[in-house]
Amino acid sequence: MSAAGPSAAPAAASHGAAGYSQKELVWQSGKLRLYRYRPIARDAAGHAPLLIVYALVNRPYMMDLQEDRSLIRGLLAAGLDVYLIDWGYPDGADRFTTLADYIEDYLAGCVQRILQTHRLDALNLLGVCQGGVFSLCYAALHPRQVRNLITMVTPVDFQTPADLLSKWVGKIDVAAWVGDGNVSGETLNHLFLSLMPFRLTQQKYVELLAGFPDRARIENFMRVEQWIFDSPDQAGAAFREFVQWFYQENRLMQGRLEIAGRKVELRDLPLPLLNLIGKRDHLVPPAASAALRGLVGNADYTALDFDLGHIGMYISARAQRDVPAAIAAWLATR
Amino acid sequence: MADDLWRQWQAFAALWAPGAPGAPGAPGVPGRPAGGGGPGFAPFIDATERFKAAAQKLLDGAAGGSASAAQAAQNFSDFLRDEFADARLPWNAGFAPAAGAGVQDSAASGWPALGPMREHQQRWQRMSDAARRIDDAQRRLQRLWSDALRQAAADFATRLQPPPAGAVDAAALRKLYDTWIDCAEDAYARIAHGEAFCNAQAELVNAGSQWRQELQAGIEHWAKLLDLPTRSEINTLAQRLRSIEQQLRVAPAAAPGPTLTPKPKPKPKPKFKPRAASRQPSPAPRRKARRKAKR
Repeated sequence: MSAAGPSAAPAAASHGAAGYSQKELVWQSGKLRLYRYRPIARDAAGHAPLLIVYALVNRPYMMDLQEDRSLIRGLLAAGLDVYLIDWGYPDGADRFTTLADYIEDYLAGCVQRILQTHRLDALNLLGVCQGGVFSLCYAALHPRQVRNLITMVTPVDFQTPADLLSKWVGKIDVAAWVGDGNVSGETLNHLFLSLMPFRLTQQKYVELLAGFPDRARIENFMRVEQWIFDSPDQAGAAFREFVQWFYQENRLMQGRLEIAGRKVELRDLPLPLLNLIGKRDHLVPPAASAALRGLVGNADYTALDFDLGHIGMYISARAQRDVPAAIAAWLATR
Repeated sequence: MADDLWRQWQAFAALWAPGAPGAPGAPGVPGRPAGGGGPGFAPFIDATERFKAAAQKLLDGAAGGSASAAQAAQNFSDFLRDEFADARLPWNAGFAPAAGAGVQDSAASGWPALGPMREHQQRWQRMSDAARRIDDAQRRLQRLWSDALRQAAADFATRLQPPPAGAVDAAALRKLYDTWIDCAEDAYARIAHGEAFCNAQAELVNAGSQWRQELQAGIEHWAKLLDLPTRSEINTLAQRLRSIEQQLRVAPAAAPGPTLTPKPKPKPKPKFKPRAASRQPSPAPRRKARRKAKR
């Protein structure tokens, strides 16, 4: 144990919220921040910048939690030029922000900024979970601006048999639930805990207590714990649209999705696509992600399965070893 | 041995609350393994204490012959079911204040709404109705939760393979515990995917939404009487602002001209001013051109 003692571990772990790797703010709009990470390896020749689009429901520092648990660090080590969107914490003033705002205003603004900086026509997109859905929509609406698209634990078919969330929200009057306000992150936390209540509210703590309490182990645990419950409120209008259009009506799967009045057509997506799937993902069942294969008529489609859960895809030792390497190798051939 | 497990936990708990019983040099609590731990982990440590005591009875029973072993297994399963029966369901957390509030007015729910207060009476009746629906949905969920626990206990009894008596060590306890968690999650998943659970869940949320909506309407009414700003007013203003922002965003492309016309340059300042002129109030600082509104 270190001189500071393990009791200092929880405090030390709180620094995880800032992320580990060095980065600089390059653009902001409203509460959105666009960061560019400082390189740690020589730039891989010919690579377009990689923009990571994270979900709205949790904070993006999970991608860069600590030195040995950072997918971003793995991507930087592979020589990639990495950008990350931080959506911020919506408040009451954002209650009318829609999916069109997020995709066609915020995400589009980030893409434009990066393309201008690099004097490029297209970049690489890495969409994570809900951010993967946004990335798919953006790529379909602006295919010329996306050179390669990577989706990670991204749902496409929102009504697969194993999707418990989908079954639960199927009969909920989401418009009444949201009303004119936002949806609190705390409410969503309760919902996610209810998916596996015995493991998530009991077993994981008992597991921590049963092991040898060294400082590193406590720090690791507390960083993840902090991230899990660091849940921004959700902008009401966007949340309502997301639940209705995707979970209840499965519009993306059925080819009926429109964003800002334009149809999102994945059928003829003219770009290489890498789909990273967690085989033990309880939030986004593997079948929900794998359905992308049937939606895109694209010949250049690659799916990689990892024997990992949703969070394990970000922070497990295996993910650190395999996921960035898989992304870099796939990009290198394109 | 089991004591090793407790020593591990005591050491861990002491890290979180150095002054707590169980910390090095601190006195223990009679009748209970020292090391209650910090408040954050206290419930888990208490629950595991109970688990250990019940597991010990199971193992003692296993040593007393097959009839005794069967009874011990049944008792242990019953213990697990009871242990989790009163668990606060995560999905109920947000609705606890709602349930009950309004139920007391249920007697009034059937009265005809007459006179100048009829709107209020109807609102209270709707709230009362919603509160009853919340209560009913919670009961249905609680019943399903209980069914899941019963099934989990039965599965656990089937899968139970007690270690030899007297050999209850930390690893054996953990295996028992993990087996229980596996059984509980499997049983819960079967229930949670079912139609009855989904319906009850949706009813809970929908009734909660209605209850909140009625409460908001009542608060808005009183806010208007007191001439306080209401959420509806703020929403209207926010929507207007949003509309203006959207118009500004498309304005330069649609109608370049007046809004983009640069202001005339100010006259150059004289290098030397008469003394009297310097006493005049300085001109207001020129506002920076407003950047294109980007939400």
